[in-house]
Amino acid sequence: MIIHHLNTKTTSIILSMAMIFFIVACSTENEPKASTDNFDRQAMLVNWADNIIIPAYDNYVGKLTDLTNAKNDFIANRTLSNLEALKIAWLEAYIAWQSVSMFEIGKAEELSLRDFTNVFPTSKTAIEEHVNSGTYDLTLPSSRNQQGFPAIDYLLHGAAENQEMILERFETEENLRNYLNDLINRLADLSTAVLQDWEGGYRDEFVNNDGSTASSSVNKLVNDYMFYYERTLRAGKIGIPAGVFSNTPLSDRVEAFYRRDVSKTLFMASLNATIDFFNGQYYNGNGQGESLKSYLDFLNSITDGSDLSGLINDQFAKSKAKAENLGENFYTEVENNNAQMLQTYDELQANTILLKVDMFQALNIRVDYVDADGD
Amino acid sequence: MKKLLMIALVGTMLFSCSDDENPSPNVSTPDTYTFERDGSLTVAFNGQTNRIMMAEELVDAMLDFSATKERLLEMYRNETASGGDASPFDNADLNAADQSIKGKVAASADYFSANTAESSQIKADFETWINAQVDEVFPNQNTVASPGAAGQLADGSKTRYVDAKGLVLNQVVAKSLIGALMADQMLNNYLSSEVLDADTKRNDNDNGVLEDGENYSTMEHNWDEAYGYIYGTAADKANPSQTIGQDDSFLNDYTGTVNNDNDFTGIAEDIFNAFTVGRAAIVAKAYDVRDQQADIIRENISKVIAIRAINYLQSAKIALPDDRSNESAYGGAFQNLSEGYGFIYSLRFTRMPDSDQPYFTKSEVDGFLTQLLTDGPNGFWDVKETTLDSISEAIAAKFDFTVAEAGS
Repeated sequence: MIIHHLNTKTTSIILSMAMIFFIVACSTENEPKASTDNFDRQAMLVNWADNIIIPAYDNYVGKLTDLTNAKNDFIANRTLSNLEALKIAWLEAYIAWQSVSMFEIGKAEELSLRDFTNVFPTSKTAIEEHVNSGTYDLTLPSSRNQQGFPAIDYLLHGAAENQEMILERFETEENLRNYLNDLINRLADLSTAVLQDWEGGYRDEFVNNDGSTASSSVNKLVNDYMFYYERTLRAGKIGIPAGVFSNTPLSDRVEAFYRRDVSKTLFMASLNATIDFFNGQYYNGNGQGESLKSYLDFLNSITDGSDLSGLINDQFAKSKAKAENLGENFYTEVENNNAQMLQTYDELQANTILLKVDMFQALNIRVDYVDADGD
Repeated sequence: MKKLLMIALVGTMLFSCSDDENPSPNVSTPDTYTFERDGSLTVAFNGQTNRIMMAEELVDAMLDFSATKERLLEMYRNETASGGDASPFDNADLNAADQSIKGKVAASADYFSANTAESSQIKADFETWINAQVDEVFPNQNTVASPGAAGQLADGSKTRYVDAKGLVLNQVVAKSLIGALMADQMLNNYLSSEVLDADTKRNDNDNGVLEDGENYSTMEHNWDEAYGYIYGTAADKANPSQTIGQDDSFLNDYTGTVNNDNDFTGIAEDIFNAFTVGRAAIVAKAYDVRDQQADIIRENISKVIAIRAINYLQSAKIALPDDRSNESAYGGAFQNLSEGYGFIYSLRFTRMPDSDQPYFTKSEVDGFLTQLLTDGPNGFWDVKETTLDSISEAIAAKFDFTVAEAGS
């Protein structure tokens, strides 16, 4: 009894100290902040790097190798069956991408991997200009909406009215084949550079940067994760096409717009990857390691009389359940069933608050990005 | 002590609130900006609507890499270089209109009628920015920007085009017009008692003398022209509060933005109510009430500009890359800095209530702008976080809000 009483007192002292610390930290933005807990951040970083990030990149690069091979086969021998094989390889790689997109740190951040891989809507006009002229510079920031998976989507599924005519274009237009070749090679080069960096020195640098300053690995990756959840997943895949940020729904802003029937597959892959990362779920197999969930449990964060990690996982489950009701093709969902899209957005948004406000506060991490005003 | 101060503060707030709502027993105020004489509307502000739309086209065209310098300057002047008739706009109505942007830049009676030297300098600043966009930025459309060199930079999934110092010039033009055109005309011209009471205007308004062929007195019309600089493109011009923030890229836009910040909720309503009460006061010939409302508008519009200036500087601070040697990561910061630069430029056109002065003089504003660009040889590329904070603090010090409130 007495011990329990003491513990409660100690907890409240620590809590008030943490509160004071938090307030001080707010007023001096650039001072490195020390953590007030003794959670083993390095164990979490090791789990993230070795069991999640590197295996996910490894898988993704493998899928891009498959895509490169399928592309080489198709360019050498432009048959319908080679085109179909290429489309399958494109989708497999696109799904694998959803598991690495959130890790925009290190080499990926330096290369702007996400923005060179998956900016949509892609610019059909600019792509056709490039194909027509045969001159383009895919390293320019302004070319981001002319490359990556969405641009390949256009070439494979939207470059002409039907599959036969698309095949015909590839048969007759060398520039179109060159553009396809350049896009897929660039995806492979960028992702290989990132994987090699992780497998080289970066893994140790990442794992050893285990402090709690704004530039520590945990603080940075949690911000990257949050940014990904808020912008790419919640807004990019659901909110923007559903018209949450505009006066009318924008059905042409769905992911894989030209292919149409895979937007749900891509979204679910992204949502599942986000959930798995939160829970420290290994990329391969069923193991689990230290994670945001176990960190929150360690801190025994209580919100609304219930534990925060539980609230977040409940909300993830609600989001998933809502999304399960959506059809495969988000273009037709936005056109015909947008209420369901909006309900899915609302469930995702509810978790934005739990993660970005409550979790950040519990972990004593500052948000390091700005809500863009869109102009 | 603190408690007493709080009570005093709250007391003042309550007092001033109830003051606003019941300006005078004999001024009857409608819910919407609807005023009639003999059953016909007396409200008109087409010229303001036109200038807002001209400014929209100009700001967009500055990012059309096929646009010529001649065309952009014609959009600014709505005439050719030699003063002839020009048709630079996509919207034919604007080509036919006799208004121009330039004619009303730094052109208020209170600030510039006897200060034409400064006025012409300000008018020329916009031409300098337009020229630099065509001469410096356009040729580098397909170059990646670096310190001292114009070109493009990534900002999230967007691409920004900057000059050699990192300025996004169409943003500088857009945000500077909010002060130099919209706020200056509104606060220092059409809401000025010097303008509203000039010549025979008060006498005419007292005696129901209307403009030739129109249904309004000149004083009524002047007040409406002030109104037009914020609500001129509103979806429902008589009842614009529903869409505040969505109707243009200028004062309407940013009044809405500030109103959406929990620290400043209600500011849009205060501005709209003051316009409506002031206009009703003109109908009721209650000129003291009119001038009280003008002061409310002056204070709040000035606040909108100051809050946005601080907000963009603080956003830029967060957006600056952790690794300052990472040249590809400056796009977001430069966009924010450029918008902040324009809002600071606009501070010179603000107006303190009960005063004939702006919150910041021209030399104070020029000082801020120089500081932003001179932390090193390459302008924004070298800007220090301490500079952003010190300017933010200096701006907030003149108002009743903090940097933290404005910056979040």
